[in-house]
Amino acid sequence: MSLADTLSQIKATFPETVFDVTEHAGEKIIHIQGLVVLDVLGEFQKSGFNFLADITAVDNMTLGGFERFAVVYHLLSQETAERVTVKAYVSEENLILPSVESLWKTADWQEREIYDLFGITFEGHPNLVRIMNPDDFEGHPLRKDYPRLGRKERDNFPIVERRIGRKAQRN
Amino acid sequence: MQHDDVKSNVLTTTLESAINWGRKNSLWPMPFGTACCGIEFMAALAARTDISRFGAEAIRFSPRQSDLLIVAGRISIKMMPVLIRIYEQMPEPKWVISMGACASSGGVFDTYSVIQGIDRFIPVDVYIPGCPPRPEGVVDGLIKLQELVDKEKFSDYAPPATNS
Ligand code: SF4
Repeated sequence: MSLADTLSQIKATFPETVFDVTEHAGEKIIHIQGLVVLDVLGEFQKSGFNFLADITAVDNMTLGGFERFAVVYHLLSQETAERVTVKAYVSEENLILPSVESLWKTADWQEREIYDLFGITFEGHPNLVRIMNPDDFEGHPLRKDYPRLGRKERDNFPIVERRIGRKAQRN
Repeated sequence: MQHDDVKSNVLTTTLESAINWGRKNSLWPMPFGTACCGIEFMAALAARTDISRFGAEAIRFSPRQSDLLIVAGRISIKMMPVLIRIYEQMPEPKWVISMGACASSGGVFDTYSVIQGIDRFIPVDVYIPGCPPRPEGVVDGLIKLQELVDKEKFSDYAPPATNS
């Protein structure tokens, strides 16, 4: 099935939840509501888009958009070499999205990364814990309202002195 | 034993300088390579610069068997507790080389997650500048450290703190 057919079929199946279909640099972008992402990506998978190239997320706080956060899926069809981008929007109040780990195992760590850096929860994920920041880390650093230099996390460590009292004037 | 034999076979020195001489020529590095500088440190070990010429080729990945900690690379907030623990595990006397801009100052990574210089939390003896330092720079840093070790004074060593 060609990409155009797939897109019109998805638009017909999920009429209210597809916000828009746009195009950038010759590739189609479909903007959808976050809650249906598992069904929409399932449709894409059935119609030949069998490879999940990447998942990432965008904080639209300063950009504007349908909602504050967008989770972006890049799909590739290995039969026709077509690509499509799916943007699933979630609002700040309800940061929940179904996990697509059941469709592609590779989504596991990428969803953990988005959870870690943006604080978006993926429902049905087998092990949704922070992947990069320490477990006791607070906050989600890739959000636009997180200060670039952090909240003093990098300054909070014990200072180790020279132990056997070698004179400390060396530094 | 004749007087001449004594003169040609016996060397007098102080215990301090004999021990310092031994220590500086047999430093056992524990490399803490977390980034690109770690790769450059491996180059310093290899044939062209070959730091075994300075007695420091016995790379130990076990902190309890080494006396020189070489921090090569940026240290994140997740890695800093590990680094502190490794430093604490090393037996005295011990020295620390901070290799590269990242370990010494955070380098270009002025972000929430990168420690802005390990010397904020652990004592550092020699800083090697560069991003990454050339292997020659590592050798130079090692020689600088050897000079420091040579100047160690036993009288500076206070008795260890007692755990009460
Ligand atoms: S100083 Fe440069 S080479 Fe060394 S770890 Fe930092 S970025 Fe990498």
